[in-house]
Amino acid sequence: MHNVSFILNGEAVTVDTSLSKRLLDVLREDFKLIGTKEGCGEGECGACVVFLDGELVNSCLLPMNSVVDKEVLTIEGLAKTNRYQEIEDAFVDAGAVQCGFCTPGMVMATEYLLNKYKRPTEEQIQEGLSGNICRCTGYQTILTAVKTLFEEVDSL
Amino acid sequence: MIKNIRPDNYQHLLTLIDQETFYVFAGGTDLMIRKRQWQGAERRFDKPIVYISHLRELQGIREFNDHYEIMACATQTDVAESTILPEYVKEPISKMATPPIRNLATIGGNVVNDASVGDSIPLFFALNAEVVLRSVHGTRQLKMHEFIIGKYKTALAQNEILEKIIVPKEEIDGFHYRKTGLRKASILSKLSVYMLYKGRGKKLEDIRVVVGAVNDIPIRLRTAEKSFLENRDVDKLVDAYRQQMNGKDDKRSTKEYREEITCRLIEYFLGEVLS
Repeated sequence: MHNVSFILNGEAVTVDTSLSKRLLDVLREDFKLIGTKEGCGEGECGACVVFLDGELVNSCLLPMNSVVDKEVLTIEGLAKTNRYQEIEDAFVDAGAVQCGFCTPGMVMATEYLLNKYKRPTEEQIQEGLSGNICRCTGYQTILTAVKTLFEEVDSL
Repeated sequence: MIKNIRPDNYQHLLTLIDQETFYVFAGGTDLMIRKRQWQGAERRFDKPIVYISHLRELQGIREFNDHYEIMACATQTDVAESTILPEYVKEPISKMATPPIRNLATIGGNVVNDASVGDSIPLFFALNAEVVLRSVHGTRQLKMHEFIIGKYKTALAQNEILEKIIVPKEEIDGFHYRKTGLRKASILSKLSVYMLYKGRGKKLEDIRVVVGAVNDIPIRLRTAEKSFLENRDVDKLVDAYRQQMNGKDDKRSTKEYREEITCRLIEYFLGEVLS
């Protein structure tokens, strides 16, 4: 076992764990942060995505070794920001939530897009969301929500 | 309990792998799936693990007068969004996996795994890339096609690390790349065709054609490429590649589909290059 220290949602934390344990399991079991979901468990569905030092990553593929001295932002951390509220409003307005299981991952991927592009093309938005699967197949409303966010930025 | 080691530095890593057999763990996007377990359970590793992605000596992309060096733990995002690498290197890598996976997956990992569907390997065949392998006893430099010797089989010795990939700087005027799969993102290729060229039309001076994901290892026919520069015979070149395809039906595709589409893509790209 190792003491792994990192920044979690803005706070310095240390956890006694195996270096091979997945960040996903540490978040859900050790920190009770259950907004990050396990869908496929193999990096395909994106329900588990978090930010690691500002980069979107699949926490189901991430061993704790990769988290040492890094900064992790989960959906719970993002939820404390003003931008989260904008994303949530856009998702609600577009009806972009059905069963909701993929939603935390979709919101994180949307945040990634907002960080990366000022005015993305439709193809760039689709590519940005390509690591996230919605098992209700509600893609069109999710795309509408994300596009609305960029239109709102334009109108400011 | 399986031993997990986070080496202090590169030398420590080389010493460790010289003494014991480890899973060498870089990005983990392949290994974590192969060793998957139920939620919350430890992954199913059956021998010690040594982690390498934090080692600075294995990170980054460097530019020199006559070549680029892609370090083994450079991620696919590092390559796809590089400000120094040319587009013909970046584009095929940018089509791999998905954004969150590309942020973790390393170039060295894709090469060392040496899956027949590893999408970076055809690119390196075409670029005449070489690999640098290091152990405590010294270094070896091999051409990529000498390093890749079979499906999941490379020339890497147990006590060696793939340190970097050397990509020569060359005058390339253009490239074509296409892979097919069930969807655009995060898919194992049914087949891929990568073509580089210098000059075009009647002034074509160099052409390289590599077929990926059809055979166990990528197909590149240097003699046929050279002949094509002399005779400009598209059918002959396509036929030479067709003769070398020996894949079989599997869950990704059928042999027939794979070979037919590959030949059509080569023919189409050659038509573009000659026009």
